[in-house]
Amino acid sequence: MNANALLECLQSIGHFGHIVSTEEQIVLQNSLLVLQNENHFRNVFFWGKILGADKDYYVAYGYVKDALHGNIFYYSNNGINWGLLPQPTKNGLLLTPLCTTSLQGDPALIIDVLIEKDETSIEETLRAAQIRKLKEEDRLASLVRIICSEAAVAPRGVNFQRPDGVIVENLAFEGLSALEAREFSSFLHARPPTQKYNTNLLTRDDYNYAMDFLDPLDIDIPEGSWIIQILAGDSIVLLKSLFWPGLVFYHFLKTPRHGFVYIGNGKRCIDVPFMLSPFA
Amino acid sequence: MLFGYSVTQNAGEAAEELPNNEAEFFNAKTFLQTASGNTGDNLYDHLTEVLNRILAERPENVIDFFEEYSRKVKERRYRPLTDRLEDCYITPAAFELASHMLRALRPLPAPAPSTLDPEDLELADMSRNNLLEMLFYLEQAGLGLPRPEMVFVMLSMRQLVAAKPIASIRFWGKVLGTFQNYLVLEAELKEEEYVRRNEEFAEQTAQLPSAPMSQLDEALAHLSLAGEGATSKVPRALPAEPQIHFLPPAEAPMEPSGVGLNKKAYFVCPGIGEPWTELPDVSPQQIRVARQIHKAFSGRLDTPIQTHPEFPGQERHLLRAQIARISSATLVAPLGFYTFGAEELGEGAEEEEEEAAGGEPKTVYSPNPHYQPPALKDLLDSSMSFWVHTAPYILPQGRTSWWNPGPDLEGAGDEEDEGEQLGEEEQEEEPKATRVEPESGPPLLTPLSEDASLETTNPWTVRPTASVLDMFSLAVVRSNLWPGGHALATPTSGFYNVYIGDGLKYMQTNFTPLPLPAVQQEYPVGPEVLEVLDPSGQEEEQWRIDHLPKPKPQLGEGGEEAEPEQEEEEEDEEEDDED
Repeated sequence: MNANALLECLQSIGHFGHIVSTEEQIVLQNSLLVLQNENHFRNVFFWGKILGADKDYYVAYGYVKDALHGNIFYYSNNGINWGLLPQPTKNGLLLTPLCTTSLQGDPALIIDVLIEKDETSIEETLRAAQIRKLKEEDRLASLVRIICSEAAVAPRGVNFQRPDGVIVENLAFEGLSALEAREFSSFLHARPPTQKYNTNLLTRDDYNYAMDFLDPLDIDIPEGSWIIQILAGDSIVLLKSLFWPGLVFYHFLKTPRHGFVYIGNGKRCIDVPFMLSPFA
Repeated sequence: MLFGYSVTQNAGEAAEELPNNEAEFFNAKTFLQTASGNTGDNLYDHLTEVLNRILAERPENVIDFFEEYSRKVKERRYRPLTDRLEDCYITPAAFELASHMLRALRPLPAPAPSTLDPEDLELADMSRNNLLEMLFYLEQAGLGLPRPEMVFVMLSMRQLVAAKPIASIRFWGKVLGTFQNYLVLEAELKEEEYVRRNEEFAEQTAQLPSAPMSQLDEALAHLSLAGEGATSKVPRALPAEPQIHFLPPAEAPMEPSGVGLNKKAYFVCPGIGEPWTELPDVSPQQIRVARQIHKAFSGRLDTPIQTHPEFPGQERHLLRAQIARISSATLVAPLGFYTFGAEELGEGAEEEEEEAAGGEPKTVYSPNPHYQPPALKDLLDSSMSFWVHTAPYILPQGRTSWWNPGPDLEGAGDEEDEGEQLGEEEQEEEPKATRVEPESGPPLLTPLSEDASLETTNPWTVRPTASVLDMFSLAVVRSNLWPGGHALATPTSGFYNVYIGDGLKYMQTNFTPLPLPAVQQEYPVGPEVLEVLDPSGQEEEQWRIDHLPKPKPQLGEGGEEAEPEQEEEEEDEEEDDED
């Protein structure tokens, strides 16, 4: 969510009830502009809030040149003093999905993570259950990376790939129409693409080399793990991921205003297959 | 030449004045103005239009997305300027929304003239239902719905109060679904309405068992007759149909309207302009199954719920069950706001009948007129001893008051002793008649500090809403077991309880569906139906040798002994061949 859009978040993400509170709006909007200035960011965004047991984390990011690959993340406990979020480590990415406890709010905290003997998500085979250490700062970094890669969304046409490969924000983006907003293929994963470029390109009839380089949302399984709701008299579309409860994407139709924000406890909901109706 | 036309039309003239600017310009312009064979457009006009637009709009860094810009200009050319089929000034959905809103904004119709004193009409008190004031506080806590939605809820509350027999009403929250969401209102109906409903319910249940059973019997009789007619010639008569001796365990009865979990009625509505639907009362069975399943709401009340422990009902019943569970867990108030001061006059005689414990725990409380809000420091205390539960605990049985499933199924409190004596007499016949340990839960207005924590998760988190403007800070409590359940203490109007979430309980370790029950035995498994391996020839031979009669003490002739062996071996071989 753009730093300037924070002030009107009640009208956008408020449809799903959880917003940035009045005081946080003022604090974050100003501190993010300062952050942008200090880091020479071309644009700065509020990423979201992860609720901890003792304290909450605020996460923000900005980019200097490339709007997709060049994101630099910052985190804060109070919304004023921002610290650089480290790059996620291999260990962190491995252990974060295995953590069952909620975050505490202390970045220096080191927790023990139990790996069961027959854990399938790790590559190596273990002879016995293992306990490994994980620093909360690394956990936060991995969590942000994982959520970004699974649930960050941009409407089609917002990210524009220049012939030199750099991705910029498309200033000519005029917004989706109500008809386009009903289709999952109008929304793209805001992450480096995982499919081959021609796969993503050729799934559309009206393909465009500069815009269809990202993975569309309709490749996600199971079907129904994304929720689209067009509300307020076809003026806004909201997307929600069932896998990451708390992540909300909004886009005011026919305008370039869009963004996503995550306000949640940082737990992936893996019960989605049970939650969906089997014969819907 | 690469191009399909000749640049120089008159080679002789061009050769005379070689650097002829005008001719070059003319040639280039002609080329650019060549109409496309496909669309009839030409590049010259397009470039003019693009440049014209760029100069008029002056976008920044236009070179980065020039292609896009050019495409947009081209696209616009094919868009009709006016839709000649229908004049569409705003989108139909926006128009619909606006007209719904206007309808809700209309003043209420004048009440029908009645002889009653206006004070006796007893319209519900709306003084605590200023949702815009509530929104002001909620926004500080990081919650909130769009303002039009809040205004709509407020307006429709006003209409509901006038149209239905409602004694008190409040905004309960919002349950998010996949297709639509539910706005939820919680209302307490008037006493006479509850009485009327219970009488209606009693009439219905009295009629129910007779009619459908007789129909079923009739149908069965027809079936069997038809079957006999067709198969009477078959020599063997069919054996008697097996009787089912299994009796399902007695089901705890529903709490009557106005008692326990059905004390409040709930109204839901999917969004602005939609009508409000009242949810049905909840049964203990629905509560118990709702605990075992994990299902997202779709937003349509008629959706069937297909889950493994079969849920008795549709989505409206599941929604009602979840609302009951959420209310029971997350309705909290600051300590001292309510007291048990009032007498329990509200409970009627017919309610007492159902209660096994005979009104032992107090179920009625009233606002404390001498309420002093606790200090913010106390409210923010993480031990949570300054917040109390205001909704009754739901027993594992699925009711708030325990129902005795003992020998007499109508187990009323007064008859309990008799039932027990009966049970003792008949103990040999019915082992089920042993006394069941009554379930009990914490009483009302118990501090939250008594709550059990779920493994390592604290059930509650309390935060101040402001850290900078701390003199205006409020205390907000959020439930970690029911993400989305919030309570907020305000300096003026006491407190607010709101739930905004997807209606699912938090599970630290993820949801595990109930395993399927073991496959039932069709018939007793004995040696005659067990499948065993046939013995091999060698084994049979061994067995025969082992079981041979003891050789007689006198020596017989070898020839006689050898003969049966050979015979048997031949038989074995035959058997093997058959296999």
